[in-house]
Amino acid sequence: MIRYLTKRLVYGILVMWGVATVIFFLFNILPGDPARMLLGQRADISSVEAIRKDLGLDKPPFFQYLQYLNDLSPVSIHFDGDGEVPGFSILSASTWQLVVKKPYLRRSYQSKRLVSSIIGEAFPKTLLLAVTAILLAMFIGLVLGVLAALNHNKPLDRFLLVFSSLGMSIPSFFAAILMAWVFAYLLAEYTRLPMFGSLYSVDDVTGEQYINLRNLILPAITLGIRPLAIVVSLTRSSMLDVLSQDYIRTAYAKGLSRFQVVIKHGLRNALNPVITAITGWFASLMAGAVFVEYVFDWKGIGVVIVDALEKYDLPVIMGSVLFISIVLVFVNILVDVLYAVLDPRVRLE
Amino acid sequence: MLHIENLHIAFKNRTEETTAVSGIDLTLKKGESIGLVGESGSGKSLTALAIMGLLPKQALLRSGKIVFKNTNLLALSSKEMNLFRGQQIAMIFQEPMTSLNPVMRCGNQVAESILRHQKVSSKEANAQVISLFKQVNLPRPEQMLRSYPHELSGGQKQRVMIAIAIANNPSLLIADEPTTALDVTVQKEILELLDHLRKTKGMSLVFISHDLGVVSRVADRVAVMYKGSIVEQGLCSDVFTHPQHPYTKGLLACRPPLDSRPEHLPVIEDFLHGTTELKPTNEILTRNPVDYQLKGLKPALDVTNLTKSYPVERNLLGKVTREMKAVNEVSFQVFPGETLGLVGESGCGKSTLGRAILQLIQPDEGTILFEGNDLMHISRQALKATRRNLNIVFQDPYSSLNPRMSIGKAIMEPMKVHKLIKNRKERLTKAAELLERVGLTAQQMNRYPHEFSGGQRQRIVIARALALNPRFIICDEAVSALDVSVQAKVLNLLNELKREFGFTYIFISHDLSVVKYMSDRIMVMKDGKIVEIGNADEIYYHPKSEYTGKLISSLPSLTSTI
Repeated sequence: MIRYLTKRLVYGILVMWGVATVIFFLFNILPGDPARMLLGQRADISSVEAIRKDLGLDKPPFFQYLQYLNDLSPVSIHFDGDGEVPGFSILSASTWQLVVKKPYLRRSYQSKRLVSSIIGEAFPKTLLLAVTAILLAMFIGLVLGVLAALNHNKPLDRFLLVFSSLGMSIPSFFAAILMAWVFAYLLAEYTRLPMFGSLYSVDDVTGEQYINLRNLILPAITLGIRPLAIVVSLTRSSMLDVLSQDYIRTAYAKGLSRFQVVIKHGLRNALNPVITAITGWFASLMAGAVFVEYVFDWKGIGVVIVDALEKYDLPVIMGSVLFISIVLVFVNILVDVLYAVLDPRVRLE
Repeated sequence: MLHIENLHIAFKNRTEETTAVSGIDLTLKKGESIGLVGESGSGKSLTALAIMGLLPKQALLRSGKIVFKNTNLLALSSKEMNLFRGQQIAMIFQEPMTSLNPVMRCGNQVAESILRHQKVSSKEANAQVISLFKQVNLPRPEQMLRSYPHELSGGQKQRVMIAIAIANNPSLLIADEPTTALDVTVQKEILELLDHLRKTKGMSLVFISHDLGVVSRVADRVAVMYKGSIVEQGLCSDVFTHPQHPYTKGLLACRPPLDSRPEHLPVIEDFLHGTTELKPTNEILTRNPVDYQLKGLKPALDVTNLTKSYPVERNLLGKVTREMKAVNEVSFQVFPGETLGLVGESGCGKSTLGRAILQLIQPDEGTILFEGNDLMHISRQALKATRRNLNIVFQDPYSSLNPRMSIGKAIMEPMKVHKLIKNRKERLTKAAELLERVGLTAQQMNRYPHEFSGGQRQRIVIARALALNPRFIICDEAVSALDVSVQAKVLNLLNELKREFGFTYIFISHDLSVVKYMSDRIMVMKDGKIVEIGNADEIYYHPKSEYTGKLISSLPSLTSTI
């Protein structure tokens, strides 16, 4: 188990390095000049050059790449002329020292803020939204899926099937607008839900920020629709498969009631494919649900990336993409461990 | 104690209803054991499931009564039935591999049944489970409590199933083919265990099996089922020595006999249509031991030091630290025209060996000379050409045919791949010929595998193997999935083909009686090694190794009881 985890972590680090490399070269061979984007079309050449020098864009690409990796790596080389030491020094030489530090994602070209603090602000919102949406999808989906399987080919099953294919096919931008229109406009009197808003609202009178969970409801439901539909249909088919297995017959032969058989022997065995789907969705939702975040003005990581793309704010884009890929690597390791916990036949090797 | 009266069960699909059980009457006294014998589809399992109230959804109870201790079980609601199931009536199923919940510890699966029917704490229940595990002779009961099913062997799983069944001291135990999936030596132990438990606990036993030999070991009385009805019942000794119904006679006769070797096995149809009477000893095919080396024949297949191992453990860098030798330095020869039988229990490496010879699995070491060509070191083209002469028939006729390919196409495919017959029309003619040769008709060419029975499918697989006019065929458990009567027909077919085309066979099976019937020489394998190789009769009557002797004594034969 520990050996397995170490192996996966090493792979994870290799993946990160690969991602960093791809991101770097992808954004550096793309046409477009961040210095010009900053200053606008009518800037004079000398100020563009000054900015380029400031951002390190005048150096050769390979040097920039090494610089980038050095910034990212938790263990890095720091030259004496480069300002103050960012972390602990573990080894000193005449002109440089080896330093342990937090990965440095650089600063936004536009706002000059640290990219890590931009992500640190946006990501918890995305995480909260994703977790809520997935939990909704999982619990409702499992219950509905089991119900559908138990009522195989009866009206309830048919209805749930139609519902789930509808849920799978509805585009999220449409679902988002529809939800906002129906629940926050047409039915606003009864639901009292806001059209849009982020995790924090500003109090009209005192001007203080406060956490407003009401803003979470609509985007979470909207975001949960598709995973919910998938969980329903997967649970249904997986459950149907499990219920025809021999050990279910054994369970009935013990004299257990239908409820006991379905929950204790059926559901536990039916979970694996559902877990795969849920975690897959969870991982992709954490990359930010751009449309839903946009429509509801939920200031998550998806919105941050899209804004940065518009402004060609390279450090923000690169930092966010890198961060998301770290999250994906970790979620995947977590899923594999979860598998082994749920199914003793899976051995982590 | 148990009385079944005029039981009718039908299967319903959208359009039609087919009768599965028609009018069964059966009575079982306290402490008695009855064997229900029949082939697949005879309705024996359905009868058992009806007693348990566990009929599949598509099955409909048409009429009849099942009276257990003065209660008509068929009139009970499912809630009332739950009090009987697992408490007074318990059942053991055929497949120990799939009958236990894979994600639940064995101890919990047994304790669950105890907790359901007795008012005890879970601690007491666990203590009971340990004592049950001791009763069913499971090794290290305390450890078994916490084991998951996949950590146990097949026999051990079946013992856990038995522990579940006897957990609440039921007065009726139903065992549905409990040993079919197990090796003969394990089968013997399980049968002895069941017999012992029945006698000490005073249970009645309904024992379902397709194997007459097995039934004769545990049952006092036997009921023979055929197409949904009981055609004959009586004391075991009477029925097996003086069968009355032609079906029973046929069933008894079509088993490959151990003491003689008729050229042609009788099949059930002969008896049902009354075309032949039993003439067991007339046409015994005596096989004189042939010393091939003395005759100066060159072996068709010469295997030396063949080894194939699988990694069991790897270290951090992915280097193999422990491996399992599935085939361990095996050497043998097969001579043209002979049938070499290969027996051994599951996991002994016999299938791996068969596949390694064909290069379907890449062996690690050794040489395989087929007609003088080293199969492990020849070019791909040469190997492809050799494959024309060397073919294989697999065990499971259900999964070795592509379900989306008509059988005609399946038979023609090898001819096309090997460019044996380039003209499509000629291929069609050849396929039709082959189908007729294996006892099917050319009109069935465009049908798909699911439209055929197991026996017919195995004929199709054989026809496909014949398509390239091979000289050498490896039959890997080719008849193991088939009923005895069908098995007799397929064995007859294989022998006929051999006489007609002069094939050389390697006949792989776990069933010593079939292997002995088919082979000139027998090779016994255990743990990847050859234990013994020699003339078939000699191995059977004078086994040199202890293991072969154990295999032979575990064979459930009728003669041992009568």
